[in-house]
Amino acid sequence: MSLFLPKLSSKEEVDGAIKGVAEKVLVLRFGRDEDSSCLQLDEILSKTAHNLSNMASIYIVDVDKVPVYTRYFDISYIPSTVFFFNGQHMKVDYGSPDHTKFVGSFKTKEDFLDLVEVIYRGAMRGKMMIKSPIDPQNIPKFDLLYHGI
Amino acid sequence: MGAFHCAVCRQTFFCGKKHIFGKSHQSRLKVVILKFIEKVKEARRTIKTPQVERFDGTQHGGTFWCYCCGIEMEKNVTNGNVVVLHGGLLEHMATPEHKKNTQRFWWEYKADPKLMDKVLITTEATDRFKVEVDKALASYVEKEDTILLQHTHMIQCQERHRLEVLQSFTEPEVEQELSNGGQSQGTPVEQAARPLGSKERAGPSRVNAKADGAGPGKGLTFIGHQDPSNDGNVHTGALPPWLQGDPLKEGSEGAEVGPSLQDFLKHKEQEKVKKLPPNRVGANFDHSSQTNADWLPSFGRVWNSGRRWQSRNQFREEEGKKKREKQGESGDSKRMKPNP
Repeated sequence: MSLFLPKLSSKEEVDGAIKGVAEKVLVLRFGRDEDSSCLQLDEILSKTAHNLSNMASIYIVDVDKVPVYTRYFDISYIPSTVFFFNGQHMKVDYGSPDHTKFVGSFKTKEDFLDLVEVIYRGAMRGKMMIKSPIDPQNIPKFDLLYHGI
Repeated sequence: MGAFHCAVCRQTFFCGKKHIFGKSHQSRLKVVILKFIEKVKEARRTIKTPQVERFDGTQHGGTFWCYCCGIEMEKNVTNGNVVVLHGGLLEHMATPEHKKNTQRFWWEYKADPKLMDKVLITTEATDRFKVEVDKALASYVEKEDTILLQHTHMIQCQERHRLEVLQSFTEPEVEQELSNGGQSQGTPVEQAARPLGSKERAGPSRVNAKADGAGPGKGLTFIGHQDPSNDGNVHTGALPPWLQGDPLKEGSEGAEVGPSLQDFLKHKEQEKVKKLPPNRVGANFDHSSQTNADWLPSFGRVWNSGRRWQSRNQFREEEGKKKREKQGESGDSKRMKPNP
C-alpha cells in the first residue's frame, strides 16, 4: 500500500516536494505506516494515484521524522492530509473544525477523487479556500484540542 | 431520305433538308459566313500592297479553315526566311475547285447569294497580287541589304576606334607600369606595344586591364596583388572561409547545433505552462528558488486568523521560546506541551 507511494523522510525532502511540484496538487499524508487508519488511507491513495497523476502528486510523510512540520501544521491526529498547489497551502472546508488539513481516512475512493478534482479546479481559478464536495457524514469526527493554556 | 450531315450545325439529320430553313441553322450560317468574310476582307486589303516580312515562326505559322472546301489551309506563304502575309489564303481562293466548292456550299445550305461574291477572289486579282508580291519582295531584299551595310559600317568604326584607343594607351602606360613595379604584365605589354598594329585580338582585353589599374586619376585605388597560393581562390573553387573550421573554437563546442534535449523539454513545459490560467494559485511561485533549512511554506495555522505570514512568524516565535526554555534551567515547570 504505502509501498507504492513515494516517501519523504526529512524536512529538506518535504521542502523539495513543496517547492518542486508545479501546476499540480501536492498531497502530503502525515502519519505512521503501522497505524490502521493510515493503512486504510494509504490504500485509497495508492489506488487513485495513477488516475490522478496529471492533477496531483501524492507523498507519504512520517510524522516522527519531520517534527518541525508536525508542529507547524498542528498535526494532532493521524492520518492528516495537507494539500498544496504551487507552494501555496490550500484550505478546504470539510464541515469539520479544522480547515487546514483533512483528518482521518476517506470512506471511498470516489470521495478522494472528487476532493482532489475540486481542489485542482479551485486552484486554477485562483481560490485558496474551497468547499469540500464530500458528504459531511463521511468525514471522520474529531475534537480540536486547544492549543496552549 | 438518307442521313444528311450539316457541317454548319454539326449535326446529322434524318428528315431531309428541312432544318435548313429553320432559325438556328440560318443564324449559325450567318455567323460563320461573317467570320469568314472578315478574314477574306483582310486578305483583300493586302492585294494592292502585299506585306513582306522576315519569317518569324511564332507569329506567321497560323492556319485557317475554309468552310466551303472543308480543309485547313496555311494563311501565309513562306520560304523559310521571308513570308508573304495572307498569301496562302489568296492563292487558295483563286483556285477553280474553291469556286466550285463555294457554289455548292451556298446551294446546299441555302446561304444568302449576295454574300457569295465576297468570299470569292477572281483570278485577275490574284495575278495582280502576284505581280505586287514580286515588287514587294524586291524592295524588301533591298531594304535588308541596306540594313546589313549599316551594321557592317558600324562594326568597322568600332573596331577602328578600339585600335586607336589602345595605341594611345600603350605609350604613356609603359612608364607607369615600370614605376608600379612587380607587375608581371609590365614587360609583355612593352613588347606587345611595338607589334600592336597587327595584333588586334589582344587589343581590347589589354586595354581594359590597363584601364582598371591606371592609377587614382581614373577613380580606383590599386591595393596590391592578392596571392592565393595557399588556400586557393574563388576561381579555383577552394573552400570559402566561412565553411572552414575556426581554429580557435574547434574542440570546445563540438558539432552541436541548436538546443540540447533538456532545453527542448524545458521549453515544451514552459509552453504548456503558458496556457494555464494566469490567475491560478501560486502562478508566480518560483519553483527553483534556493531556500535555507529554516524555510517554512505559507500555511495558515489552525489557531490563527489573519495573514498567513503571521502564522509563520508566530511559529518561529514559539520555536524560539522553546529553545530558550530548553537551554534554560531544566527544572522549570512551565513548559509548552508539544503536540503529539
